[in-house]
Amino acid sequence: MQPVSRLTVPALRGISFEVKPGEVLAVVGANGAGKSTLLRILTTLLIPTRGRAQVCGFDVARAPAKVRLQIGYHTGGDACFYSRLSARENLVLFAGLNNISATETAKRIAEITGPFGLGELLDRQVRTLSTGNIHRLGLARAMLHRPSVLFLDEPTRSLDPLAAADFRRFLLQDVVGRHGTTMIFASHMLAEVEQLAGRIAVLDSGRLLACDTLAGLKAAAGADTLEETLEILTRRNSREAQ
Amino acid sequence: MRRAPQISLMLRKLWLLFRRDLAVARSYRAAFAVEIFQALFGSAGFYFLSRFVESPKLERSLPSGANYFSFALVGIAFFDYLSVGLSTFDASLEEARQNGTLENLLVTQTSLPVILAGSSLYPFVWMSLRTAVYIGWGAVLFGFPLRGANWLGAFLVLGASVLAFSGLGILSASYLLVFKRGNPVNWAILGLSSVVGGMLYPISVLPVWLQYLARLTPVTYSLEGMRAAILGHASTRELLPSIAGLVLFAAVLLPLSFAIFSWALRRTKITGTLTHF
Repeated sequence: MQPVSRLTVPALRGISFEVKPGEVLAVVGANGAGKSTLLRILTTLLIPTRGRAQVCGFDVARAPAKVRLQIGYHTGGDACFYSRLSARENLVLFAGLNNISATETAKRIAEITGPFGLGELLDRQVRTLSTGNIHRLGLARAMLHRPSVLFLDEPTRSLDPLAAADFRRFLLQDVVGRHGTTMIFASHMLAEVEQLAGRIAVLDSGRLLACDTLAGLKAAAGADTLEETLEILTRRNSREAQ
Repeated sequence: MRRAPQISLMLRKLWLLFRRDLAVARSYRAAFAVEIFQALFGSAGFYFLSRFVESPKLERSLPSGANYFSFALVGIAFFDYLSVGLSTFDASLEEARQNGTLENLLVTQTSLPVILAGSSLYPFVWMSLRTAVYIGWGAVLFGFPLRGANWLGAFLVLGASVLAFSGLGILSASYLLVFKRGNPVNWAILGLSSVVGGMLYPISVLPVWLQYLARLTPVTYSLEGMRAAILGHASTRELLPSIAGLVLFAAVLLPLSFAIFSWALRRTKITGTLTHF
């Protein structure tokens, strides 16, 4: 049994940013930059050793239950359901665990799965669904309790290009456009980031290098593309660290 | 939120988790049939073993009303509750880690202890069905005595046993949370209980110092109470010492195990190892 201080490494340092209601923020950075750690802290899955983070005014370490009431969380993995249960059985279970009554659950499932294109598939076992549909189901689960903030960790990681484009369109039109949900997502796919995000937070080795609009980032780096921007910012950070 | 709606919310969550496990189990249709026949073979094995070892001397050392077959069948069938109690919390945690649902469960409005408690319901209910099938085969084919049993008393002993065993199970899950593999809590409790708990022989055959040790394991009280209720036809009042022993274990183990589990959960949330195998 080792002390916690020996088991932890500083994954994030000196990060500070705010996201306004209805905004879409992308978190980008290389592997190990701290994107998933940041999302896990904000979704109460990790407890920060130092510093403070709030979601909708609630502290993630002091009032995690209140934070969880406000958030939805979906990861890009496709093995996050009970595969031998039907899509509906999965949604009913998670709705119940989010304190939604049985009548309200039935209403919300009907309401949310229609636009997600899942209506016909609800009574099929999850193991028989395609990866794209499992992702939609994951998003439906994250949205079922009408969260104010939606956290997505590499949401299109295991989707083919067409399904990914379809999924992004859905996020923009329905989740953000229709429901006005605030969205914070981590992604490696720069086209996805450009298409979805209002602002982009760039992380490198646990530090926040910049947090601005795409145009603002490009201007600050003196670059033409997002890819070039990231290269310049991270190179500059490495030089400063040395 | 007031207490009554909170309790009904929690009961609904427990029911939903039970229903989840029932639905998953139902999707493996052959399992129940296999289990029924496995119980038949187990029951038959104990019957023929008892015919081999039965002697007037052995019968004199067993509690009144019991032959060796019924003594061993109750011992084996109810000892399995301890195994389930110890493994069910570990298993549900491990399953959630493996199928990737753990993080999704943890961001709901339900705390991990409630999720684990709900996930332990189906294994206990399934264990009860399995025990009933064991005893049913024993009664139908091999003369296990059912007449005169105090079923209410047996039910009370069982309820108190499940609470005490769950305390040990939560301790075991706490170990798994922090150390991930190779659970010595589980191993030590099961090993010790199988030697001194009176599963296959009365504890009176043990050396005196082991008899003292037997008094420190909850399964001893559980098996004594079960045998007294089912085989010895003891009244509920006569079962009170066994029930009180088990309740005392539960009263100590449950708060202690919840406190240790909360500490382990917080530690893994800080170290970021909650979902690690």
